[in-house]
Amino acid sequence: MKFKIRLVLVALIVLIMFLLHNSFWLWGLDDRVPLLFGFMPFAFSYYVGYAILSVLVIKLIIKIAWPDPPADVIELFVDKESVDK
Amino acid sequence: MNTTLGLGILITYVCILLIIGAFAAKVTLKTREDYFLAGRGLGSIAVFMALFATNITAFTIIGQAGFAYQAGYGAYGYVIGWSIFITPFTYYLVGYRSWLLGKRYGYATQPQVFGAIFNSRLVKLLFLILLLYYTLPYLVVSIIGGSLAFTTISEGLVPYWLSAVLIIGISLIYTLPAGLRGTVWTDIFQGTVFLVLAIFLLFAVAQALGGFTAITERITQTNPAMLQRSLSPQIAPINWFSFAFINSIAVIVFPQMYTRILAARSSRNLKRVTLYYPLALAVIFGVSTLLGVWGSVAVPGLVGKDSDNIVPLLIQKFLSPTWTVLGLVAILAIVKSSIDSQLLSVAHLVTDDLLPRFKRISSQQAVFWGRIVLVIFAAAAFYIALVRPAAILSIAAFAFSGFAVILPVMIAGLYWPRANKYGAIAALIVPAIMLHLWYLEILPKWTTFGFMPVFPTFVLAILILVVVSYLTPAPPSEQREKTFGLFDQVFNAK
Repeated sequence: MKFKIRLVLVALIVLIMFLLHNSFWLWGLDDRVPLLFGFMPFAFSYYVGYAILSVLVIKLIIKIAWPDPPADVIELFVDKESVDK
Repeated sequence: MNTTLGLGILITYVCILLIIGAFAAKVTLKTREDYFLAGRGLGSIAVFMALFATNITAFTIIGQAGFAYQAGYGAYGYVIGWSIFITPFTYYLVGYRSWLLGKRYGYATQPQVFGAIFNSRLVKLLFLILLLYYTLPYLVVSIIGGSLAFTTISEGLVPYWLSAVLIIGISLIYTLPAGLRGTVWTDIFQGTVFLVLAIFLLFAVAQALGGFTAITERITQTNPAMLQRSLSPQIAPINWFSFAFINSIAVIVFPQMYTRILAARSSRNLKRVTLYYPLALAVIFGVSTLLGVWGSVAVPGLVGKDSDNIVPLLIQKFLSPTWTVLGLVAILAIVKSSIDSQLLSVAHLVTDDLLPRFKRISSQQAVFWGRIVLVIFAAAAFYIALVRPAAILSIAAFAFSGFAVILPVMIAGLYWPRANKYGAIAALIVPAIMLHLWYLEILPKWTTFGFMPVFPTFVLAILILVVVSYLTPAPPSEQREKTFGLFDQVFNAK
């Protein structure tokens, strides 16, 4: 897949995350959804879920659009990139 | 407060910092690259904790808890919700490409990176001026906020001026000899200290208030509005939307954050940091939000700015005196880990981008001058923190917005080959002027159409950048090749 298409996919993901953050239509659920673990109301637990989703989404972005520099590029680095295992 | 115990814990904490600083100084070479960028050799944990500890300020515990006290659980999503995703995402969006350029061409600061991309000394100068202009007031406000919090938690035992001396003085002791390595190594320690203390504090307060479930039931019965965002006057949807353009996207523009990204050893280090960063932000802001909301029923009646004292009040009213001391340590750790890096990045900008305009400076001389500049700015920041001039405070009030509207130029420089220096110059100058006109209330409020000024300014920056770039000649192909040729080799490698 061309990198430009991958970038468009990333932009779509960012847009979806932005919409999920500005999900004003869900505010009506604030007093209807039961407390999570007995102490987290929806306005709070939603962002606990959002944080977990963020990790998964970033993992996906790394997979589709974050290549490591190839060896010939590392050769050109002013100071050579250390091997990090 | 148990003074002996308090002094013992504080002295132990300071001694640990000094020992870490001494070790860092021992391995730090007297070269520009090593002093300001730790030889671009920071591993995953070092970059992660350096970014996290620098990102978290006194606001996280004190201000966020105070806001949650007033606004309820919705304060969590309002302040940090979008940041949880977008702040680490900018480490990819802007950070990785900048890191590649830094590794390839040896750039060490934003003025160097974007001055070179746009091949313009004026772009370089504008970046330098704007970053210093917004960082300095922000630094002073961090010192003021931290010193006030320290004085409050110590119940006045440590006066305001002495708090400022302690915060700046201890920071200098390890930053002066060890540069970035000193701040990063101590960040690992300080970041761990305040994260662990914050979590323990949450459990201690919960236990003192009858448990997580009991305190939440009390809130549900006595103040159910705290659960509903639509009932909170502080959280209007238009502000919620606008706020997404302030602190979350501004973070990567802070010179102290940007430099730490450039100092990463490898691409893999940056990936790990980006991946796990959302969890760290969610945890620390989650703790302060819960403490603030719980405080609204445990210590009711605080109005306006008084609600910012809710965490110290919870500690004083419900926990043992030992917690007062631990609270002091946490505040010191949070405040210092931000201030030391702000001071160092200001010294770095001046030494690397301003002084060479007047005088040729060798790598070793850069370290010498960096230390002198560091001391001068520390002394100036201390003086301003004592005097608290209104002009500085009003600039600090919109410093985050100022940083945020620089971002379009940074993104365009890294992603859009057609962007040129004319577009960049216009998109740096005009939005900065507009922000001042709106925040200083020279332009009437209705001209922002109800949004916070940062949103229309951000849109304006994009428009100006695109229109001016298209109306003026495209950058020469050899200039574009230098940046985008490298990206092509990395992102389109077979």
